[in-house]
Amino acid sequence: MAISQFSYANVRVMDLQKAITHYTDTVGLRLVESDDQRAYFQADEGQDHHCVITTLSDRAGIDHVGFKVNDPSDLVEAAEAAAAHGLAVRDVPAGEIAGQGAGVMITLPSEHQMLLFYHADKIGYANGMHNPTPGTSKNKIGAKVTHLDHTLLSCENAQPTVDFLTQVFDFNLTEKVVDPGGNIIAAFMSCTNTMHDLALGPGPNGTFHHMAFGMHSRGEVLEGADLLKEDHVPALEYGVSRHGIAGVTTIYFHDPSGNRNEFFNGAYQASGQPDLVAPIIWDVENFPRGAFYYESQVPEAFFAEVT
Amino acid sequence: MGLKHRGILRIAYVRLGLNDNRLTRSLNFYRDRFGMLESLRDTQRAYLRCWHETFQYNLVLEQTAENHLIETGFQVRDEEDLDHFTQKIEAAGVEVEQSAAGEPLSGMGRSIAFAIPGGQRLRLFADMVQSGYVTGFESPDWVTPRKLRGTAAPMFLNHVGITSANPAATVDFLTGVLGFVVSEKIIGDDGQLLSALVFRMRRDVGGQEIAIFPGEDNHLHHIAFSKEDPNDILVIGQYLREDGINIDTFGPTKQSYGNTFSIHFFDDFGIRLELCCGGRLTTVHPETEPVVWTESDLSKALSYYDEDVNPGFLDHSL
Repeated sequence: MAISQFSYANVRVMDLQKAITHYTDTVGLRLVESDDQRAYFQADEGQDHHCVITTLSDRAGIDHVGFKVNDPSDLVEAAEAAAAHGLAVRDVPAGEIAGQGAGVMITLPSEHQMLLFYHADKIGYANGMHNPTPGTSKNKIGAKVTHLDHTLLSCENAQPTVDFLTQVFDFNLTEKVVDPGGNIIAAFMSCTNTMHDLALGPGPNGTFHHMAFGMHSRGEVLEGADLLKEDHVPALEYGVSRHGIAGVTTIYFHDPSGNRNEFFNGAYQASGQPDLVAPIIWDVENFPRGAFYYESQVPEAFFAEVT
Repeated sequence: MGLKHRGILRIAYVRLGLNDNRLTRSLNFYRDRFGMLESLRDTQRAYLRCWHETFQYNLVLEQTAENHLIETGFQVRDEEDLDHFTQKIEAAGVEVEQSAAGEPLSGMGRSIAFAIPGGQRLRLFADMVQSGYVTGFESPDWVTPRKLRGTAAPMFLNHVGITSANPAATVDFLTGVLGFVVSEKIIGDDGQLLSALVFRMRRDVGGQEIAIFPGEDNHLHHIAFSKEDPNDILVIGQYLREDGINIDTFGPTKQSYGNTFSIHFFDDFGIRLELCCGGRLTTVHPETEPVVWTESDLSKALSYYDEDVNPGFLDHSL
């Protein structure tokens, strides 16, 4: 079978309580459980135990990303394939991460940790699994995010990780940004039919650029932007924009430790298999229009600031 | 095996047979007013696609004596999947028709076709010609093409709704033999399955590629297409009204069942169409749990704002 879902991002934070306030009161996630080291969150329309983990640390950044496979035997197969590719692999026993079963942790060529696992405990949708009221409750606090959608990780050279994920883990490259020599600067890859589950951009190896939360409407992205201003959350200087790449309505902001988040809404449908549809190619000259469609400029901080 | 996404990967097209000389009326509706792009034409058929698609068609219009749903097409990974499904479907006691590349539809590789319980035919194939993105592949503007603005301009084929005299048997076949996963279902007061939404794609505006409703066998309930968000649906509702298109009694509405914001309307042949957004970002995984509705909450499920179920809504439309 296959990798079937980008399940969660485990981000490092320097102040757990501030992170909890940010991810619940502002972003609008449900706090599922926490101890003095970690907090686990899920969005309203996620049915698994968590889509975000914040882990207390002395620095910000990404601890690991979690992807779910849809057959338990995939874990053995993935571990063998990654090891054969020369990547470090370690078993993660059930219980090490709350709310999910055993997994295998793989160190990607980009020096990011990717955990594959099969089982997640179920907490259900926020409005329940039985005759659920649609929309969000009037008592809901925070933005109206529905789910964790994708993450962008940064590395010096994306090509080896793109090769591994597409050739071994069956990810599909939907769009890419290339330099005049044709080398990949940024790559957007999907293990589903969405535009991207995991993207790679330029920066030091092992760093975190952002994670993005989906919303049902452009109106909710605008409301989310108002909420960020009201809560004095540092947001990207352009405010609400549209990505030319993917064609979605978006705003970026930071959690209290400096990890970048995104709200977005859009519809895009990828083929669900690698090499069937040729990737969209953005050249460097057109990249600013791809990143920020209205402004067609990229603020310096956009790639400079990674955690 | 390899870590490969296998089986059904994409809903590809709906093929309609229409009593429409030279397809004049249906092209006038689907191409000129609804806003699909005409990819190909032959003496019998017109092939249309949504503007965001790279594949050659999402809707095939075919001149026939009677109006009817001919088949729905799904794409699988490769030839191995076609062989695997042939065995599995035959083992379930269902006859499988093998078609060579280019038969019966243009631009398609080898395919298999069969009837699901309920009578509707599905066709599985691995290859389809790509027309390429209408925006091109180089630094594109992902914006509705100028010539389609002012129409519904659907982005993608989203799902097909069908009726079945025995919804449970239909859903059992779709899940057990074809690997579909249930995202939502409605259980009748008698404990029997009334309806289900089944999917194979994790995507925006997701959660269903086939919707099964109770009713007569071998009919089409509706065809749904994706839009970006509710604003689009409200604005397009204005274009449809202005164009004199017959909009369903309840107009734009939130459908709790499937978690979409939708508008339903009818083409010139009385076929019910839907534009939807929202939906559920679901996962093809054995542990995925469905939302369960009970018949007593049917009005909340199907028409949240109006708190009523238009009795005609459950009728098939073709």
